[in-house]
Amino acid sequence: MSENQSYTIRVWRQDDAQAAGKFVDYDVKDVSPDASFLEMLDLVNEDLTRDGGEPIAFDYDCREGICGSCGCVIDGVAHGPLPGTTTCQLYMRNFPPGATITVEPWRASAFPVIKDLVVDRSSMDRIIMAGGYISVSAGSAPDANNIPVPKPEADLAFEAAECIGCGACVAACKNASASLFTGAKIEHLARLPQGQAERARRAQRMVETAEAEGFGACSNEGECEAVCPKEIPTRVIQRMNRDYIRAYLKMI
Amino acid sequence: MSQIVSFVTSSIGRKLVMAITGLLMIGFLVTHMSANLLVIFDPEGYNAYSHALISNPLIYIAEFGLIALFVGHFVSGFAVTLRNRRARPIAYGENNGAGHTSRKTLASTSMIISGLVMLVFVPLHILSFKFGTWYEAAGDPHVRDLHRLVMEEFQSPLFVMWYLGALTFLAAHAWHGFGSAFESMGVSHRTWIRGSGQALTAILWVGFCAVPVYVYFIAGGGS
Amino acid sequence: MLDGKVPGGPIESKWNRHIGEMSLVNPANRRKYNVIVVGTGLAGASAAATLGEQGYNVKAFTILDSPRRSHSIAAQGGINAAKNYKNDGDSVHRLFYDTIKGGDYRAREGNVHRLAEVSVNIIDQCVAQGVPFAREYGGLLDTRSFGGAQVARTFYARGQTGQQLLIGAYQSLMRQVDAGSVELHARQEMLDLVLVGGRARGIITRNLVTGELERHMADAVLLCTGGYGNVYYLSTNAGNTNVSAAWRCARRGAYFANPSFAQVHPTCIPETGDYQAKLTLMSESLRNDGRVWVPKKAGDERSPDQIPDAERDYYLERRYPSFGNLVPRDVASRNAKFVCDEGRGVGATGRAVYLDFRDAITRLGQETVAEKYGNLFDMYHHISNEDPYSVPMKIYPAVHYTMGGLWVDYHLQSNIEGLFVLGEANFSDHGANRLGASALMQGLADGYFVVPYTLANYLANTQLGDLSTDAEEFKSAEDVTEKRIRTLLSVDGNKTVQDFHRELGRTMWENVGMARNREGLTQALKDVQGLREEYHQNVKVVGRADNFNKALEFGLRVADYMEFAEVSVRDALAREESCGCHFREEYQTKDGECLRNDEEFSHVSAWEFTGADKEPVMHKEDLTFDFAEVKQRSYK
Repeated sequence: MSENQSYTIRVWRQDDAQAAGKFVDYDVKDVSPDASFLEMLDLVNEDLTRDGGEPIAFDYDCREGICGSCGCVIDGVAHGPLPGTTTCQLYMRNFPPGATITVEPWRASAFPVIKDLVVDRSSMDRIIMAGGYISVSAGSAPDANNIPVPKPEADLAFEAAECIGCGACVAACKNASASLFTGAKIEHLARLPQGQAERARRAQRMVETAEAEGFGACSNEGECEAVCPKEIPTRVIQRMNRDYIRAYLKMI
Repeated sequence: MSQIVSFVTSSIGRKLVMAITGLLMIGFLVTHMSANLLVIFDPEGYNAYSHALISNPLIYIAEFGLIALFVGHFVSGFAVTLRNRRARPIAYGENNGAGHTSRKTLASTSMIISGLVMLVFVPLHILSFKFGTWYEAAGDPHVRDLHRLVMEEFQSPLFVMWYLGALTFLAAHAWHGFGSAFESMGVSHRTWIRGSGQALTAILWVGFCAVPVYVYFIAGGGS
Repeated sequence: MLDGKVPGGPIESKWNRHIGEMSLVNPANRRKYNVIVVGTGLAGASAAATLGEQGYNVKAFTILDSPRRSHSIAAQGGINAAKNYKNDGDSVHRLFYDTIKGGDYRAREGNVHRLAEVSVNIIDQCVAQGVPFAREYGGLLDTRSFGGAQVARTFYARGQTGQQLLIGAYQSLMRQVDAGSVELHARQEMLDLVLVGGRARGIITRNLVTGELERHMADAVLLCTGGYGNVYYLSTNAGNTNVSAAWRCARRGAYFANPSFAQVHPTCIPETGDYQAKLTLMSESLRNDGRVWVPKKAGDERSPDQIPDAERDYYLERRYPSFGNLVPRDVASRNAKFVCDEGRGVGATGRAVYLDFRDAITRLGQETVAEKYGNLFDMYHHISNEDPYSVPMKIYPAVHYTMGGLWVDYHLQSNIEGLFVLGEANFSDHGANRLGASALMQGLADGYFVVPYTLANYLANTQLGDLSTDAEEFKSAEDVTEKRIRTLLSVDGNKTVQDFHRELGRTMWENVGMARNREGLTQALKDVQGLREEYHQNVKVVGRADNFNKALEFGLRVADYMEFAEVSVRDALAREESCGCHFREEYQTKDGECLRNDEEFSHVSAWEFTGADKEPVMHKEDLTFDFAEVKQRSYK
């Protein structure tokens, strides 16, 4: 086990959506390299509390990389320096001792800041609302094995379905585009026989909802894929483009 | 009709317009570049080719088509960029590329800049050459001696530098644009598509730059 | 004596016949009914979506920013269903029996049988929704055997079954939100239950962004708020998981059943330091190939590769030759504790045992092991910074799931009329120990296939008067809540909420954990009471009530844990037998196994809150087993 280290963190502090925010520096002393990044923030918050200051607000829940609650831009990269991980899965040993670490919220007009590092991601829920489902009411389903799905297709559907809805793709995209998120759901359901009936409507409604929510367009740079904790490939975006274009071709 | 409007003004619709117009323009550039090489290898053939083009009445349609591609590409691109800027009103304090599988390059992040350079360059280029001095060819007064104009224009070091710079922006634009266009049309990202686009772009850049370099340094002795 | 209201007749046909007997609400009338669903995990999301589909006016509440983040998402292993797709002898009866036995005969027979019956519908429903379960090359669903089950009845989606099921339920829920039948309230925390005329008619919530208190009225309240594992501070549960909503109902008169039952999962990554906020679960599938051992000698500090086989104690294989490393969770956990108590634990803290893949790697080759467990090995490596291919994993048990919960009858209705409790928040199906891959099954069974029927029966048979949120009951509940918040913020003491929570957790873990005894529990009762008193005098909760304030959220939750913990300790004290997770050291067989006392303790203990400083009153519901044969659990 290696020795404890000290760091400086530069954290974005902002009271609410209307307030102007600014960076504030905090010294963090004596942190175990085995502490997670969020546990380090917990320590800072406990010290702040004891001194009567307001703790840094940040979202988290499961702390095992599956719920998608946590997420901030760390040293200019969404979810920090390690690929394929969420913020909660970063450990202090992933940072050089003595480093100054910059911590910011996701920035997008579709993700207004609630407080400090906490943003409102309900715009992503509204994209799902617009068609990210198969319309089947409880009790009406046929026997599960009546619908065979070739394993390769099922695996590809699964790969897209792994999305945890954290919003890192939006945060990393220079256009704050939600294409990877939207595409992942379109791809997941388009791969399955159950998803065919609503496929065109789904693509059309989801894409247009994303636009109405103020997300940008895709520039095909692939930053989203590079920061995605589940490493969802950009082919899901191309699927979204195909299905959207097809939806209109059918109408005309 | 309203459906066509809502499709074309959607971001995927706009990107599709940009993809198709962009790829067609790259196609045009391939023929343009090939013809340019005649300046070096066959000056008379060059003049003959340009004569054949401008004496064909279909040229007006072709020119109109090219202008439409150019304007369509620009209008769509500008609209998409405006929307994209609105999507992130507050910039990050620190912003670094994620590396890993990212295909982000200097070229991909500066598409609007390279595009705006083209917006300036292309009209000036047309002014310089299409609407430049009309020399008559020595052998046939009905044929324009465009070769002579080319040889004269690229005597100026500043003009040559401006061309080389602008062509580099053009290449940067196509470097990302080619692969991106296929993805916008819904073709799954494949390394070979991106790679062929970049190879083509490199060929275009070398081919286009060859003429001013050749004229200035080798043929014209302009020093 | 409490009545579970299980319908009569043979167990195979109870539920189906009862469906026919229950009253219905006319489709045209459903929209006149308002239903509140608190919590949007598997139980809550599936209930809200289904009731929305049926035409009720539903309001769904979650403390998280989206229903998609509820902690059901973290379940790894799978979901059981008696489909018998593998033709290996599974049946509804076998699933029923395994679950009853696994729970050490402390669950209600009728409920468990119904659970096994509807398990098959759940898989159908989820597949139709597009849940990408693992498949075989023929395109049909794959299943595996899980948690020591003798049949392959567990459906799974890699190690992310909970995620895929929750996203499926979430999507169905969002479809109803889009259709306007469900109104979604995210970042809203229920802080009180409102009773009118003795019936649950609404809730008081706090908007976690603006701090505003809100009144919501309904004809029934469905509580789907998960378990109380975080009373132990460190657990595999998510940070926001809490007992407050359930505890607030208990304070309003709902009985809390078996509050000392908490499942301790044997394969978690051990604690490393005080800063730690949670423990990470490693799937128990690892025990299929990993061998659990500690050094024979106490205080042996050699590195594991220096310890020859003769000086290793493969204690599970030694004590349980027939099940070996695959003994159920409670048994595996308890034995890890015992060897560590003997000073034979490993790692920096001495509270860990080895889970060694050396032999599996030799037998199968590293490639095959990587294929089976690669992602788990990577996760372990990432968290602990040690490579499990070359160094044995270190594991230790951690609190994982809570079988206790609010008491409910066969209709999932608590003793308060109109208050229904679903999923982990109720006590009904898992007895004293839950089998692997059964939690997801129960959450979805309750939400998709049970409560839609029983709720209709309640609404159809109950005269509910008109009500507005201006009623005195709402006003007074809101006042109480407002005062509670104001008081907490005004204490301004010297210790943080985490300080107290950590201390409470330690007391609970030491005394109400894997092994319990009278002396420890008596001491714990005093400690917990003392801590609760100190809390209200010396806690420091900073910030304001009228904005986003996590410290306040947690401050209120820990206050509730303090009260809950006391009932939990009392329950452990009162149950003078050992069963499942509840191992009372005084009651064990000669070779250290659970000694059940079916004569005196074949009952559910349901505790009635009577005041913060008063002793709670215990009510019993007798458990009778007419269809399952009662046996001593043995894995020898």
